[in-house]
Amino acid sequence: MKLRDTVILEQDAERIHQVLMRFLSDSGAGEALVIDRGGQLLAMDGGGQALDAVSISALAAAAFSSTAAMAQLLGETEFTVLFHEGAKRSIHVSRVEEEAILLAVFDERTTVGMVRVFAKEASRAVGAVLGEARARPRPAGEFAAPLNAAESGPAWTPPY
Amino acid sequence: MSVINYAKRTIDFKIVYYGPGLAGKTANLQYVHRCLPHANKGRMISLATGDDRTIYFDFLPVSALTVRGFETRFQLYTVPGQVQYDMTRRLVLRGADGLVFVADSQFERLRENVESLRNLETNLREYECTLDEIPHVLQYNKRDLPNVAPVEYLEFVLNRRARRVPFVEAAALEGEGVFDTLNTVSRMALASEFGSERRGHDEAS
Ligand SMILES: Nc1nc2c(ncn2[C@@H]2O[C@H](COP(=O)(O)OP(=O)(O)O)[C@@H](O)[C@H]2O)c(=O)[nH]1
Ligand SMILES: [Mg+2]
Repeated sequence: MKLRDTVILEQDAERIHQVLMRFLSDSGAGEALVIDRGGQLLAMDGGGQALDAVSISALAAAAFSSTAAMAQLLGETEFTVLFHEGAKRSIHVSRVEEEAILLAVFDERTTVGMVRVFAKEASRAVGAVLGEARARPRPAGEFAAPLNAAESGPAWTPPY
Repeated sequence: MSVINYAKRTIDFKIVYYGPGLAGKTANLQYVHRCLPHANKGRMISLATGDDRTIYFDFLPVSALTVRGFETRFQLYTVPGQVQYDMTRRLVLRGADGLVFVADSQFERLRENVESLRNLETNLREYECTLDEIPHVLQYNKRDLPNVAPVEYLEFVLNRRARRVPFVEAAALEGEGVFDTLNTVSRMALASEFGSERRGHDEAS
């Protein structure tokens, strides 16, 4: 399928934030990340403990994609949930829509069953916001004019 | 695909280093990782076998300039080059905003380069995309070795699009050409978000 850029406006971010906060309090999970299937972090909430969210996003999207590929080899359309149980913390990954996943980090204060139930609800709500965001024409604003010479210099300058 | 976030004032891009096995894709990321100050880089992750062959991908997030109030960030990935890992190559390619094709300049690797480039075009079709639509550069790597093909010859064999793309001569182990390559592809990806070159501009207007 054709992939499209994602533009998250402030009101989208706020709506997703509301959904994730609700999800965290309902499910008892500690952190919630919305990640696009290409590996980019779209939104994150919670965070009692500092997470390397950028790395987790890349790895979770890759893990989800490779299990999806495994599912295809088994004749399933897609496994919809990934669950990794750790000694202290566990990870639950579920599908938001075609292009995004929801990752929850939780510990013994809740159960995978609780996380699963509320992840479903949260996924639907986040999916609706992302769907609207992708369907909307891109805002021009800052992006209307081409980059000028000063703005298109090298991003990193040697000597390295 | 790029993610523009107005709440965080960030633009994120995914850049994928593609090319045959042993061409030097991982070496590119390692050099970038070695050079950038901590403020501009995250953790480098390599999913590799015991003998350092990439089995899934390498990953390195780097950040760059702030443009019109948006911090630009680039997530760099490499693919495994070995022929048998085609499935994982395709998965890593998902959502790429820019590509670096790392070619091995040695004469005896010409065929692998051509096959890998063809494989890239095939895999892009999975995402209904062609090389003409994705900003990309060619990197002719291992220029430090004695048995390399002349650049004109590599250009003739690999740079065959209707609109020729930029190329960079490199010796990635020593870092030569590595930042040239990264600057070129990131600038192209960034430029494609602005003005009339903007992707999706037609649908949006
Ligand atoms: N001489 C030379 N060797 C290189 C260069 N770049 C990479 N290599 C070597 O080629 C081998 C494969 O490099 P690697 O980055 O793992 O290739 P990849 O399979 O494309 O990721 C390693 O032994 C590198 O040290 C280069 O520019 N010159
Ligand atoms: Mg490698």
